[in-house]
Formats: sequence, C-alpha cells, structure tokens
Amino acid sequence: MNVNRLCVSLLLPLVLASCATGPKLSEMRSSIPTLSTEQGRIYFYRSGSAFGAAVQPSILLNGTVVGESKPGGFFFVDQAAGNKEVSTSTEVEKKLSFTLDPGQTRYVRTVIGLGLFVGRVYPELVDEATGQKELEEASYIGPPLKQGVKAEAKAQ
Amino acid sequence: MKKTCVWLLMALGLGGCASEVTRHPVNLSRARRPPDKSFVASQTVMVRLDSGYDRSIRAGTEFVDAGGIAQGDILKPTNATFTVEGAHMHEAYLVVNTGRIVGFYLPVEKSFSPLATSVALPLEIKEFRK
Repeated sequence: MNVNRLCVSLLLPLVLASCATGPKLSEMRSSIPTLSTEQGRIYFYRSGSAFGAAVQPSILLNGTVVGESKPGGFFFVDQAAGNKEVSTSTEVEKKLSFTLDPGQTRYVRTVIGLGLFVGRVYPELVDEATGQKELEEASYIGPPLKQGVKAEAKAQ
Repeated sequence: MKKTCVWLLMALGLGGCASEVTRHPVNLSRARRPPDKSFVASQTVMVRLDSGYDRSIRAGTEFVDAGGIAQGDILKPTNATFTVEGAHMHEAYLVVNTGRIVGFYLPVEKSFSPLATSVALPLEIKEFRK
C-alpha cells in the first residue's frame, strides 16, 4: 500500500465520521416549536464541505455554549430579543454582533477560514433567503425535540 | 520555494490579525419615522470598507427609516443583511446623507463607522398603502 492510499484510507473515515448526521429540516418541520412572541430564533449552521471538517469548535452565544459547528449540521435556539454576540472556540476569536427582534428569525452560518496553525471557524450573519436555502441541505444536530425527531427520520 | 512559504505564512498571519472596525459612539438625533414608506436600491452598489473588505448592496434591497444621527439618516435593510467586518463582524445599517452612503450605524454597539469615501446610492421611494 503506498503512502497516498494509506492517507486516504485513514482520513476518509475521519472526515465522514465528523460530518453531521440527523434529520433534514424538511423532515422535522412539524417538530419545530412555534416561536413565542417575546422571543426570536437563531439558526446556526455550517455547509457540508469536507474542508476543515475535523475543526468543530463550540459556538457561544453571549458567552454561553449553545452547540457545535459541525460540517453539514444545524440547530436553533430561541432567545429573548436583544443584542447578541456569537463566537467560536477556535485559534482566533472573531465575534459577530447583531440584534434580535421579537418574532424575528436570524441565520448564522459558521465558515472555515485559514489560520496560522489550524483552520479557524468564524460566524457570519446571512440573510433569510440564503439561510433558508442553505439550511435545506443541513442535518439537525441540536437536542432532541418533543415530537420525536429521530423516529420521524428513521421512518424516511 | 522558501520565499513562497514565508509569504504564505505572513499572509496567513496577517489575515488572522485584521484591524478592528473604526467606530464612534453616537446618539440618535431623531427617532425613527412612522413606517409609511420604504426605500429601494435601484441599482447594485459596491462598497469598499476601510478595513479592506468589500460589500455589495444589491438592486432591489429594501430599507426602512431607522432614525437619524448627526452624520445622516439611518436606513435599516428589511430583505437583506449587512455586516461590516474587521477583526470582528458587526451587523450594520446604512447611514445616508444627500443620496450618498457616508458610513454605517452599528445597532448593537450604537456606533457610527465612517467610510473614507462616500458612495452614491440611488434609491426609489415606495409608499405603503394605508
């Protein structure tokens, strides 16, 4: 076995294992709770690109960990309206600040960038049309929802 | 080859140390007006931020009045999202004075981030039906 083949055979399972698996948004729409009028919703997602797939930092919202940035994964949090700050736990901290209005849904995409030693993941705010479109490709990686998302996904 | 590696490392190193967005705290000089009309960008406009990043305001982007500061009127996009970017990324509304973008209002930081060179922004007014 030459070195290239060895590298591929070792890295491929690692990359595949690090990608998100879970139901797609279209499979779980009915499980997503209705947003209360005083709160806003923030979707966090990352494209399924294998580039930098092994870098999976935590995502912090106003200093509290709310989830992980996984390739091809998404989750959402409902929060009281107000000012929000998102960051990730990578080599260089690049924060994103934005406002959240009551009843508003915002979309935060985490993207991989080149760092000096390792890839770094940073958040960026995207508009609703882009966010909704790109979310369709992602898999849910958040906490289980009340109406049995997993059972619904298995039935597909 | 050695030179290429040095340049690459320098570029990566500098890329990780972008400068902070220039901003000055501001107070609203007037409150937002009743939402009786919106403003629509009639053509795509490119903006080069002082931090070196580019932003485009696409034709068809709609804005509503979000108040005013000494530097101009604040226009909040309703069908798009804008950010200004340096070391960090900040949501931003446009600040327009006599038809030109003179900078950005950062709603979280309640600050004004000026543009070194103002940019013309052709807008059409869309009246809301009552």
